[in-house]
Amino acid sequence: MTVAPLFEARHIHKRFGDQVVLEEINLAFEEGELSGIMGPNGAGKTTCFNVLTGRYKPDRGQVIFAGEPITGLPPRVIAQKGVSRSFQLINLFDEYSALENVLIAVPQVRNRGFNMIRNIEQDTAAIDKAALVLERVGLKGKENEPSDQLSYGDRRALEIAVALATEPRILFLDEPTSGIGIEAMARLAELVQELKRTYTMIIIEHDMKFLFDLADRISVVHWGQVIAEGTPDELRANKWVKSSNLGKLV
Amino acid sequence: MDFILNLLPYIVNGLSLGLLFTLIALGFMLIIGVMELINLAHGSLFALGAYLAMVVISPHVPWLGAFGTWYLGLPIVLRYVLAVVMAPALVAVVGMVLEVCMRPTYGKDPLYGLLLTFGAALVLEEAIRVVWGSAEQMLQVPQNLMGPFMLGGMIYSKYQFFASAFAIVIILLVWLFLERTPYGAIIKAGAHDSEMVRALGINLTRLRLFVFGFGTALAAIAGIIMSPIWGLRPHVGVDAVIPAFLIITLGGVGSFFGAVVAGILVGLAVGITAGFASEWSLLSMYLLLIAVVTVRARGLFGKKSILEA
Amino acid sequence: MAGIGGPIGHWITREMVIAFAVIFSIPFWINAVGLYQYLGVEILIWMIYALGFNLLLGYTGKPSFGHGAYFGIGAYAFGLAQQHVVVNVWIGIGIAILAATLAGAMVAAFISHRRGIYFALMTIAFGQVFWFAAVKWHALTGGEDGLQNIPRPDVFSISLKDNEALFYLAFFFFVLVVIALWRLIHSPFGKVIKAIKQNEMRAGFIGYNVRLFKFMVFTISAGIAGLAGGLFAMAQGSAYPDVMSLHVSGLVVMMTLIGGGFVSFWGPVLGTVIFFLARDILGVLTETWLLWYGLMFIVVVMFKPEGLAGIWQDLTRTRVSKSESVDTSLISSARR
Repeated sequence: MTVAPLFEARHIHKRFGDQVVLEEINLAFEEGELSGIMGPNGAGKTTCFNVLTGRYKPDRGQVIFAGEPITGLPPRVIAQKGVSRSFQLINLFDEYSALENVLIAVPQVRNRGFNMIRNIEQDTAAIDKAALVLERVGLKGKENEPSDQLSYGDRRALEIAVALATEPRILFLDEPTSGIGIEAMARLAELVQELKRTYTMIIIEHDMKFLFDLADRISVVHWGQVIAEGTPDELRANKWVKSSNLGKLV
Repeated sequence: MDFILNLLPYIVNGLSLGLLFTLIALGFMLIIGVMELINLAHGSLFALGAYLAMVVISPHVPWLGAFGTWYLGLPIVLRYVLAVVMAPALVAVVGMVLEVCMRPTYGKDPLYGLLLTFGAALVLEEAIRVVWGSAEQMLQVPQNLMGPFMLGGMIYSKYQFFASAFAIVIILLVWLFLERTPYGAIIKAGAHDSEMVRALGINLTRLRLFVFGFGTALAAIAGIIMSPIWGLRPHVGVDAVIPAFLIITLGGVGSFFGAVVAGILVGLAVGITAGFASEWSLLSMYLLLIAVVTVRARGLFGKKSILEA
Repeated sequence: MAGIGGPIGHWITREMVIAFAVIFSIPFWINAVGLYQYLGVEILIWMIYALGFNLLLGYTGKPSFGHGAYFGIGAYAFGLAQQHVVVNVWIGIGIAILAATLAGAMVAAFISHRRGIYFALMTIAFGQVFWFAAVKWHALTGGEDGLQNIPRPDVFSISLKDNEALFYLAFFFFVLVVIALWRLIHSPFGKVIKAIKQNEMRAGFIGYNVRLFKFMVFTISAGIAGLAGGLFAMAQGSAYPDVMSLHVSGLVVMMTLIGGGFVSFWGPVLGTVIFFLARDILGVLTETWLLWYGLMFIVVVMFKPEGLAGIWQDLTRTRVSKSESVDTSLISSARR
């Protein structure tokens, strides 16, 4: 008996002005898997990502999450349904400490957003949760650091932590390796490996090696279309991948 | 048909107002273009221009002594022309000082820049109040520009036509400057892409300074021409900034043609409202702003602008 | 302020108690320093106004340049209530708050979700519209002269004709507002609006209804302005359009920022005191005091937008050692 994919994109078309950026995109992501989206810059993978996570509305097509259409819903509604994403350009609350950044995202706080009376600084349940998330991404001990004073690698980790803190059903990571060095990269790979065990993840990435090592399935987006799809092994054997620059790296 | 005829003076009124609004808006727009900055003090500089012109035309200052008496004896046309040249120049200086004051806020949250120009607007208004008082003042204008004249059975104001003509000339000059001179080209380029301009080796700091001065000088000119129509009191500054903003919201930032069209539309709206309920004409501007922003914050021609930062 | 803060219970902090004690004592020594009782009342009223205003400016990062409208509506509402409903403080103040809150909600529906300059200009536009209405709607507002002869009703049979007595009524409301706002700031709601100020987009992507939060903040802030306005009408005995003018709306902006509203809960309180001292002490020396005050505002925005409280924090931060434990950390990093 086959289970329906957790997250699907069907017949997505998107244009900006005259330019068609996405054409007949069909994707399906299974629960429990780490799916990758890769492709050259400007090929549409970022737009695709933004459509999937609700930042843009597609001109045609549907986005379906857990059997429910979420096309065109505002990002906050999609987030409340259990879809969470991190950003390529670090997108944190710069005046907050690392802990506060995560705290604002944990369900204990998120579900009580309109509560004007509860004293959040005494809310040990929420604070502990947040501290736990920080520990998971490797930021233990840095809870009280102002987030704008953390190292870039730490900020990258925090960026993911915030997305993680919402306890999502599905986690989208937008180019998580952007700008980080080799050491942080290894740390990140470890983190992703560990997160794989609990979360369904979709990662858009530029770094082929990173993606090929971690993903269960990868979709290649080029010229606004999905031109290849499969497991990393299948893709290595794919003619197109082999003949392109991508093939040489993996 | 009668209805239209009765409305005609107000339509004409509206057209000339519209041209003057366009003048205010142009200066406003140039500054936004090159620096992505909304200058809330633009209106106060508009007012300052008029007040300074008033002083140049009729400086009743005791310490000028004999020179003063001689000066006041000069034909008013001469003094008026002098005012139209000197006052905007002085305002440009003030504008440039303001730009320098803005510099610590560049790169920070735009909120600070906004607060600063707001503070500047209040300070300028207060300065005007301190120097010239809150009472209504009058800007002396050459006699032959004043008074009514008849055209097609309707009475019009001579000054209106002068004001409109003057505004058209200035608008054309600005257009020529932007389109036909190299410096104008730089400003347009800077409006498009300040990074690129810097990469081309152009001194962005000096460009900004110049544009600020130029833009505020335009506001001052508009202020001088408008003061016989709108009156001269410290509060007039606020009323000037609203049409400017309304125009760029309607016409889109960076569209010269859009600014002119929008300017005329706004002027017509205000002018015609004055025909029905003169007390409401100023208020109509505010209501129009609320309506326009509510319905379409991106303007008739516009794409998403930096104003939404 | 760093160093002397710290909760006593969940609602009241040490700083609050000190502030309350100091302010409570004002009527006892204000005459001795050459000032006058009514000044104390004025300062309290504007403190309430500024504290509510700072919820919008300092915490959510939205500059309202037309907030005088809600202050004025509160004043008019109070006056009208006394004249047409019943002569009673609580009902009057209640109506003032209600009217201002409704007006605020109405405006917020139009603008609270707008950003940057659009927001700012709309606040000016609405402020001007309300001001215009106050001036023109003779029948309701008394036009340019405003409402006159607004009485000061007795409270529990205590007469408020004496400014000292009025001071303590205002003080009562001040305490309520301070405690309520402090609580709000440290609640999830407060955390969210601070997050919205820092990164609206991300807040949305985490799942918050940013628009609704901004709407609520604006409305609450308008309601508090209305409370202050009602007290003002009671103190002055009149309500007039000038408080809704751009000029006067600008005062609360300047007070709040100079005091340090961006970084401190007490910033607006500090800023209000400074403003009135400038008015009454500098004002005696020169008619141009407001000009200097405005220039000071500009200088502060240019070089130290964190204001006086920010300067104080810089000075005391170096002396206080950072706490490492997670539990108390939120207080030191929150800074307010």
